[in-house]
Formats: sequence, structure tokens, C-alpha cells
Amino acid sequence: MKSLFVEGNSAMHRVSARAKLLVLAALGVMLFLTANFLLLALGVLATAGIYFSIGLPARSALARLKPVFLTILIVALFSLAFNPWHIAVVALLRLTALMLFAAAVTATTAIAQFIDEITLLARPLERLGLLRADDVGLAVGLVVRFVPEILDRYRAIREAHAARGIKVRPTTVLMPLIILTLRDADNIAAAIDARGVRRHVN
Amino acid sequence: MSTRDLVLSALFAAIIVALGILPPITLGFIPVPITAQSLGVMMAGVVLGARRGTIAVLIVLVLVAIGLPVLSGGRGGLAAFAAPTTGFLIGWVLAAFVTGYLSERLVKSEQSALAQTVGFFFAAMIGGIVVLYACGIVYLAFAAQLGLSKAFLGSMAFIPGDVVKAFVAALVGRAVMVGYPLLPVRS
Amino acid sequence: MDIRFEGAGVSYGARVALAPVTLQLTEKRIGIIGLNGSGKTTFARLVNGLTKPSIGRVIVNGRDTADAKAVLTDVGFIFQSPQNQIILPVVRDDIAFGLKCRGYKPAEITAKVEAVLQRFSAARLADRRAHELSGGELQLAALCSVLATGPDILILDEPTNQLDLKNRSLVQRLVESLPESAIVISHDLELVADYERVLVFHEGILVADAPAGEAIRRYREIASR
Repeated sequence: MKSLFVEGNSAMHRVSARAKLLVLAALGVMLFLTANFLLLALGVLATAGIYFSIGLPARSALARLKPVFLTILIVALFSLAFNPWHIAVVALLRLTALMLFAAAVTATTAIAQFIDEITLLARPLERLGLLRADDVGLAVGLVVRFVPEILDRYRAIREAHAARGIKVRPTTVLMPLIILTLRDADNIAAAIDARGVRRHVN
Repeated sequence: MSTRDLVLSALFAAIIVALGILPPITLGFIPVPITAQSLGVMMAGVVLGARRGTIAVLIVLVLVAIGLPVLSGGRGGLAAFAAPTTGFLIGWVLAAFVTGYLSERLVKSEQSALAQTVGFFFAAMIGGIVVLYACGIVYLAFAAQLGLSKAFLGSMAFIPGDVVKAFVAALVGRAVMVGYPLLPVRS
Repeated sequence: MDIRFEGAGVSYGARVALAPVTLQLTEKRIGIIGLNGSGKTTFARLVNGLTKPSIGRVIVNGRDTADAKAVLTDVGFIFQSPQNQIILPVVRDDIAFGLKCRGYKPAEITAKVEAVLQRFSAARLADRRAHELSGGELQLAALCSVLATGPDILILDEPTNQLDLKNRSLVQRLVESLPESAIVISHDLELVADYERVLVFHEGILVADAPAGEAIRRYREIASR
């Protein structure tokens, strides 16, 4: 699974993950505090400037934004049908600016950096006994590790269906897929425990 | 949380991710393919229960946030949270929790197959539709400045599809419970 | 190595998985054989504290397995299923993860990862994705991950069970050459054929404890009944 991180040496790349996330949060708040067209339009220009300066070729940079922008646009058009036009435009500008900066953060921050930040954020929760901070990295690793196996399993189930002349239906496929996958949990958990990886837990 | 619970949650998160990658599956009686990822969220609650189902969904959201394209269509990254429909995404967490909680309360192993399926269907409807749409509509109303009634109106079109998904989740949930019971019992 | 079983047994409610056993294991190579459900895996899991005895106790190198954390540094465990032991997508990260959780610093981690890869001539696997590896390669990677943290006792639970012939010989040769003490559970009698000590379990009871030749003979007797 290819991540959305793109190697590079732009200014955004060099800023720490924490700073970028804090700015993103602050930006979210600020965008929703103002309804001023000019400010919001400037916001869009500024965030677009940042997003297109990180080193992505224009085509892929735009392709990444397409699904989200489409949703923003459709909702804005829907809003136009019922609301005064400036309300729809304000929403359009706000969300577009947010989208651009968020996409810039994603493209310039490596997965390991994100995981480090989340793990740090989770440490206080560890003291409350709610979770183990290191479990975040482990959980992410486990998912990326086993998604390909699950896809293989799905294909095997489909082939078995074909061999028996059964049509592929959610009920006939999802049940074995889920059971076979979850049955592995005990073995995987035993292997993890045997390596002493989660030492501070029961 | 026990290692087994963590692994179960992570594996289900992987199933939800896989469902976003696999092509939609057609139901026999309706010629429309159902995109399975939101179905996966309902199934997380129905199969794993409230706690692990919620954690499975949280793991998926973490994967999206850190830049992995795990949402159906290859979407991912923080930009996915900038959409006006983000309420429907973050609402997955509450949806899985409520679906799981109701499943644990309502469905017992001594019940008939029909009773169990109905129980799961109810849980999936309340969690996967009522609660999820509440989250989605509220956020839509606020973030897109749509107003609650318009947001509600705009979201109605998707409900029939999700009712079908709740039904599928109930059938699959019941079948999984028979084959490999994992649902904690909550009285 | 010094593993003592002091009347250690395991029951689940009314079901006795392993009748109480008292013995001391010090040999370099110990085999454990028996039919499915004979209690051999239960016995092996008592050694690393994964399973706690319902009665009696198990002492590994002077430490009671009731405190699993302490014992886990000394005992490594290789499981049957090749797929389920590598828990991170890339082999190198998986090996490093175990070290990271033990608190080693990044520089030490890199050094230890390289060292264990060299040891098993597995450098070619390091940057591969676990999903693409064969059963034998996965078992090899699992050996690297487990031995990177330096346990001096290794338990292998039917390590060749799910492997084809070629990979079976590979793992067999690897196990033979291990300087660590090894306890090997196996259906594949060839694997344990020249071990100095082999334990035979049947229906939860230790029925034989002898050098390989005699133990295997006893096992065949039981299996053919």
C-alpha cells in the first residue's frame, strides 16, 4: 500500500510534524471564525501556494484533491439551491483552504513521523490505564501487514465459489472471510506475547 | 487491553480496509452492487462488540490520518477530513460503538436464528444509520452552512442503500456468531 | 539451560490438558513428540510462561514462570504457522520491533538486526515484504526476529509442519546448527531422530522420557494401537 507521503526538500518537508499539525488545527479554527470573502479567498490562495510548492507534479497534485473537492463542490451547489449565494461561497472557500493545507501536510509528513506524534499524544492516556501508547504503531503495522493476506483469502474464497458453481454474494463470501481472518488472531497474539513485545500488559 | 483484543481489532480494521479495495459485491435480489466499506463498520460492531469494534474503526481512521489511501476509491490523508461529509467518517466511531453495544445487549446465543438476525439488524440500523446520519448531518449542517433541515434532506437519498447494508450486516453477523462466536455478552 | 518442572500440570475446568510432571531439562537438544491433543504443546508453552500451570510450578534458569516478563528474555518461541509470526509488513522492521520494545537504542537496534541477518545469511530477506515470502523464508525471518533479542533457549512448535520438503530441510539444518538450547515439538520424527532426549506425551501424560531411538519406538507403539 503506497502512502501519500512524497519525498522532497521543500519548506513544508523541513517543518516538524507537530508544528504542521498545530497550524492545521489553528487554521481550521480561524477559517470558521471569519465569513469575510477577501480573507477566505486569500486563505485559499495562500494554502494553494503552499500545496503546489511541495514538489508534486501538477497532475498528481490535482488528482489527489479530486474526490474531496468534488464533494465540497457538490455540497456547495446543493447549498446554492437553498441559501443566499454568499453562504455557499463562504463554505466552499473555507473547506477548500482547509483541504489544500491538509493535503500539503499529508504529502510532506512521513508515516513514521505521524506515528511518533500520535504515540506521544497517547502517552498521557497510558497513565490513565486506557491504552498502551506503543500499541498505535503496532496496530498500524498489523493492518498493513495483513491486508494483502486478506485480499488473497478473498480471491481464494471466490475461486472456491466458482469451482462449486456458487454465485459470489456478500453473505457467502464475507462470513468465511471474517471467520478465517479472525481465527488467526489467537496465533498472532501468541506470537506477539511470546516475543515479550507488550510487556506492560497483563 | 489484551493482546488478543488488540489483534482482533487490528485484523478487523484490515478487513475494513480490504473492503475498500475489493470491488463491490452484488446482492442477488437487487442488481445494484453495494460498496462494502460502511458495511464493514456495521459488521465491526456486530461481530466484535462495542469496545473492539470501536477500536477497529479508530485504527482505520488513524490509517487515513497518517496518509494511507485506505478509504474506498483510494482516498486518504488529512484532506479526507476536510470534506463536508467528514461527519459521516468520524461518525463511524460512534456507529460501531452503538451497533456493538446494542448487539451485546440484544443478541443471545439461546435465541432463534430469526431473533438473532432481527437483533443484529436493529443494532446495525440504530448504530449504522440513526447515529451515523446524526453525526454526518450535524457536521454537514455546520461545516457547509447548510442548516439541519437541508442537510437532512440531502442525506436521505443514501438511506435505502444503508438499510440494505444493515440487513447484510445482520445476516453476516449472525452467520459469524454461529461459526466463531466473539460477541461478549452484556446483560 | 536449566528448566525444572515441579509437579506442574494444566487443567481447564474438568479437562486435564497436562497431568503433573516433575523433571529437569538441561540437554542441548530435547524433542517432544506425541499425537495431536497429547499435551505436548501445553507442556512447551509452560516453559515460556505463555501458559501458567494450574498446579505446581515451572522454574526456568532460576526464575519462576509465574513472572512471565523475566522468563521471556531467556526463552524464544517459534510457532507452527509461518504467516502469523511476522507482524509488521517488512521483515527488517519486524526484527527491529522486538528490539525496540525491549528498550534498545536505535544504533544498537540497527547493529543487532544486521548481526542476526548475517548469522542466518538472511540479508536478502531484510527489505522484503512478509506477504511475498514462502513458508520457509517466513520461518527464517521469524527465527531472526526471535533470536535478535538473544534468548538462550528456543522452543520450536512443529516448525516444519506447514513447509514443503525443500523448506523442511532448510529449517532442519538451521535448527541443527543453533548454538542455543532447543526444545523441538515435532510430528516430523526425522527432525528429532538423533536428539539425546525425547519426551513422549499421550493423552496429557508423559509416557516416555528417553534418548530418541527408544522414545520413537515407544511413540510408534502408541500410535499404532
